Amino acid sequence: MKKLIATYICILLASTIGFAQVDRSQFPESGPAPEIKIADAETFKLDNGLKVFVVKNDKLPRVTFNLVLDRDPLMEGDKAGLTGFVGQMMMAGTKNRTKDQLDEEIDFIGASLSAGSTSIFASSLKKHQDKTLELMTDVLFNPVFPEDELEKQRKQTLTGLATSKDNPNAISSRLSSAMVYGKDHPYGEVTTEATVKNISVEDVKEYYNTFFKPNIAYLVIVGDMEKSEAQKVVRKYFSNWKVGKVPSFEYKMPTRSSENVVGLVDRSSSVQTVINIAQPVQLKLGDEDYIPSRLLNQILGGGSSSRLFVNLREDKGYTYGAYSSIGSDKLVSQISANASVRTEVTDSAVVEFLHEFNKIVDEGVTEEELEKAKANLSGSFGRSLESPSTIANFALNIERYNLPSDYYKTYLQKLNALTVADINATAKKLIEPDKLYITAVGNGSEIKDKLARFGEVKMYDNMGFPAKELTADADMTAEMVMENYLSAIGGKENARAIKTASISMEADVMGNKLTLQAVYDAEGGKYGQKTLIMGNVMQSTTILEDSGSISAQGQTMELTGEQFEMAKINSYLFPEAWYQELGYSIELDGLKDVEGTPAYKVIIKSPSGAQLVNYYSADSGLKIKNENPASGDTFYSEYQEKGGVLFPMVWTIKSQMIPVPLEAKITSLEINPELTAEDFQ
Amino acid sequence: MKKLTALGLVVGLLGSPVLAQNKIEFKEFTLDNGLHVIMHKDNSTPIVNTSVLYHVGSKNEQPDRTGFAHFFEHLMFEGTENIERGEYMNIIQGRGGTLNAFTSNDITFYYETVPSNELELTLYMESERMLHSKVDQVGVETQREVVKEEYRQRYENQPYGTILPETLKRAYSVHPYRWAPIGSLDDLNAAKIEEFQQFYKDFYVPNNATLTIAGDIDYDQTEKWVRKYFAEIPSSNKDIYRPKVAEPKKTAEIRDVIYDNIQIPAVIQAYNLPPQTHPDSYALSMLSTYLTGGNSSLMTKELVDNQQKALAIAAIPLELEDGGLFIMYGITNMGVEPQALESEIDKLIQQVQHEGISDRDFEKLKNIIENNIVSSNSSVSGIGQNLAEAHVIYGDTDYINKTMDYYSKVTQADIKRVANEYLNLNGRVVLYYLPKPKDATE
Repeated sequence: MKKLIATYICILLASTIGFAQVDRSQFPESGPAPEIKIADAETFKLDNGLKVFVVKNDKLPRVTFNLVLDRDPLMEGDKAGLTGFVGQMMMAGTKNRTKDQLDEEIDFIGASLSAGSTSIFASSLKKHQDKTLELMTDVLFNPVFPEDELEKQRKQTLTGLATSKDNPNAISSRLSSAMVYGKDHPYGEVTTEATVKNISVEDVKEYYNTFFKPNIAYLVIVGDMEKSEAQKVVRKYFSNWKVGKVPSFEYKMPTRSSENVVGLVDRSSSVQTVINIAQPVQLKLGDEDYIPSRLLNQILGGGSSSRLFVNLREDKGYTYGAYSSIGSDKLVSQISANASVRTEVTDSAVVEFLHEFNKIVDEGVTEEELEKAKANLSGSFGRSLESPSTIANFALNIERYNLPSDYYKTYLQKLNALTVADINATAKKLIEPDKLYITAVGNGSEIKDKLARFGEVKMYDNMGFPAKELTADADMTAEMVMENYLSAIGGKENARAIKTASISMEADVMGNKLTLQAVYDAEGGKYGQKTLIMGNVMQSTTILEDSGSISAQGQTMELTGEQFEMAKINSYLFPEAWYQELGYSIELDGLKDVEGTPAYKVIIKSPSGAQLVNYYSADSGLKIKNENPASGDTFYSEYQEKGGVLFPMVWTIKSQMIPVPLEAKITSLEINPELTAEDFQ
Repeated sequence: MKKLTALGLVVGLLGSPVLAQNKIEFKEFTLDNGLHVIMHKDNSTPIVNTSVLYHVGSKNEQPDRTGFAHFFEHLMFEGTENIERGEYMNIIQGRGGTLNAFTSNDITFYYETVPSNELELTLYMESERMLHSKVDQVGVETQREVVKEEYRQRYENQPYGTILPETLKRAYSVHPYRWAPIGSLDDLNAAKIEEFQQFYKDFYVPNNATLTIAGDIDYDQTEKWVRKYFAEIPSSNKDIYRPKVAEPKKTAEIRDVIYDNIQIPAVIQAYNLPPQTHPDSYALSMLSTYLTGGNSSLMTKELVDNQQKALAIAAIPLELEDGGLFIMYGITNMGVEPQALESEIDKLIQQVQHEGISDRDFEKLKNIIENNIVSSNSSVSGIGQNLAEAHVIYGDTDYINKTMDYYSKVTQADIKRVANEYLNLNGRVVLYYLPKPKDATE
């Protein structure tokens, strides 16, 4: 017992002593900054010019082979988009293996293998390196470029392009590149449907034959391999690779504009504006300003504690996030800042962006900001070193940018030695806040005038081309647009003769058959609509003369007030033929560009303010688009005569809520059928 | 070729020496208060990963107080007696580090990766968290809101986000695995502050924790710091609550339809698995790779490439201490009914059950598994987590070096056997995820 008590006291004492030693009110100090050990890359060259780097790292019995082509940027011209096809085409089969065989052999050894237009990457366990190299070089030397694979990719690319035309971020980056670099520069040229359709298997082959040459290639080997072994295997697999003359290209250097210029894409259904503010910059890895520019950007807009984020989000609440970047590139790059902001605050947000650009150039950064940025960047630099591929990139960069061999070994010393004065000098040197391209993608009629204070506003279309300058005929009125439309479809009388109609449409939504059914009763002011997926009613709407309801998933909701007005104004097949009786007013809002077709924009308004926005082709008079910020835009095409009136047989619906445009085709159309109350339920 | 295959088999029989796994060295010790400490030294990169694994997950919760373990994952960033509210992240990030945490049905895991000269800081921070985290009304209120947003973002707003909770709910009738780590917001709302404080006292104690330090360290210095900051933390003298509930074997299929915010229907199947440490786990993991691992796997090739009935298909063994789930999900292709995809999935499962797998496929499996195991130890944070789980789940830290041995004991016949034993078509959960109609009034 005594013993026990003694032990107990001992423990008590011990723990008391323990307490006394730890002062928990103080955070432990940082230890001395660790020495960065970066493995050296071994290097050698084959007679055919292939330069090889070997970064030995035998922590794991793995090895990766990364083949990189160092060619000048390409102008693809009328075949823009070509380079995007090359990699997958190379992986689609070789003289020795079909695509299936290739897949099977890669999986069999647990390896991975992929290709792009300027690279082939392979990785596997050490013991499978021979097989991996055999597969990699089969793809490199013997691709067969099957025609059907090209068609598959073309289809995917065109789908992607179609989607991107309605994606405000994609529109913004396309426009910004086009303005910053110019369309006659490889970094500014635009891939369009037309250029994608121009690409042939022959083009891919020619690209491959021209650029996959050892004399412009680097092979980077990282992993469990000594230089001596690397020499052996590289000779075995790559020495038969034949030298070829690879063309080089030079481009006119993009220049900054002499003053701030505004580029605007009118996307009238937008509720947010995507703002991007940019200017070209000549800055490449290894330049004196390179490391200071990393810190500068971290402070300006690199993260959630940076100035732009704190100002535009935390302080003003304009946006979910605002960021900047300072790019670097051998040829040319850009400084840019961006945010998506509410339409109403578009000009206020631009003011804040410009304010931050000016402030960092005029007043510089603070000591505290610099210290935080240094800790942040040092930490991520340190963590990145764990991945052997980082070390390989360092070796490659040292070669490609002609950097001193200790560039990365002393990177953190260089970073930490920088002073506030250094960062401020870099800011003054790189950023010119009065020579910016300010681009905005948003609701033009709301923001165009407000943007004029920042510089001349130039209009562009959703592919970054100057928008056609459209001015409506001075004599044109909304009433005339209505009349032209009605006579184009067969006359007002014929349109009004269609008292009832029953329409059924079908569309394919990501593999599901979607059926839309609608019944109209113009004189009775009734409308019924159902959406069916795979035969099941998913949603239905009923509009009667003065009541309406919406059902979804077994739940029904009565429409009241504004909702009812909104639904009602949308429930006419030919509102143009009835608007006067209904007491709606109409208003012409100019001539607009609708996917290349000049069209009059007419707003039909109910007395209580519900709106219907339609576009009518200036040439044909036909209605080609309906715009609805809530449910998306509908495009009408393929007009056919039914019951004396032209009907659009294809309705293409583009909405933020659906990933790809939905193309609905009319499958049946009944004119003046007998409709009963049941039809509207 | 035949000769080569035969040779491969013979070599395979010889066992581990030819396998590629590199040995992970480590040192471990246990403090008097029960805290288990594992250290792995790797000086190649000047970073260090510090983690604490608390052996508490959603299964340690009471049925009317679900979501506690995950809630603590949030609460534990609120601060301590010496760390101001909201400062935990800022301090680590301000010293160049990164940090995060996760909660499973079995464990809660907290970690930081920092430059190696900040090791002492991370030990201080984790010890503060273990010694005297702030569990007060303000923190609870704040984090309730955050967890609500997380619930919306990760479950309600995420396509197919509810697969796990919906599946667990049906796959377990009595075991506490029947609720997911996110738990119920109602339970969190109903809980009193004293209940949170008690949960902290019960589970966030050194004798329920494993501290792992992996990276650019000095063993002696690290041990000194660990003792300095952790030795004084009192252990609890209460037994840790670990439910002992056996989930009965299913004798009928459970089938349901879930409407979700998705564009494309999906088919989910779930089969109950043996405990994670059961020898059959290895064969089951290989079976899942055989079915859906890689472009040339059975189901990917047949259902995605050839028949084009599925856009994607995956079999994932969710391994849990008391027996997890073999979850299979397939996303249908253009115009394919979920029924059509499901019947093809079943056909392929039955094919494996009747015919087993070929010699070549068995060899392929071994190669893929070997590659995966080797790659799983490629970062200090990965190694740290694997060491901690080896100790806590497998009761042997050196399990990290033996994983390959266990896999090499699996025979071709085992794969056919486990397919029959566990993928029981008459005792499983089947869910159809179908697109929810858009609410037209929104």
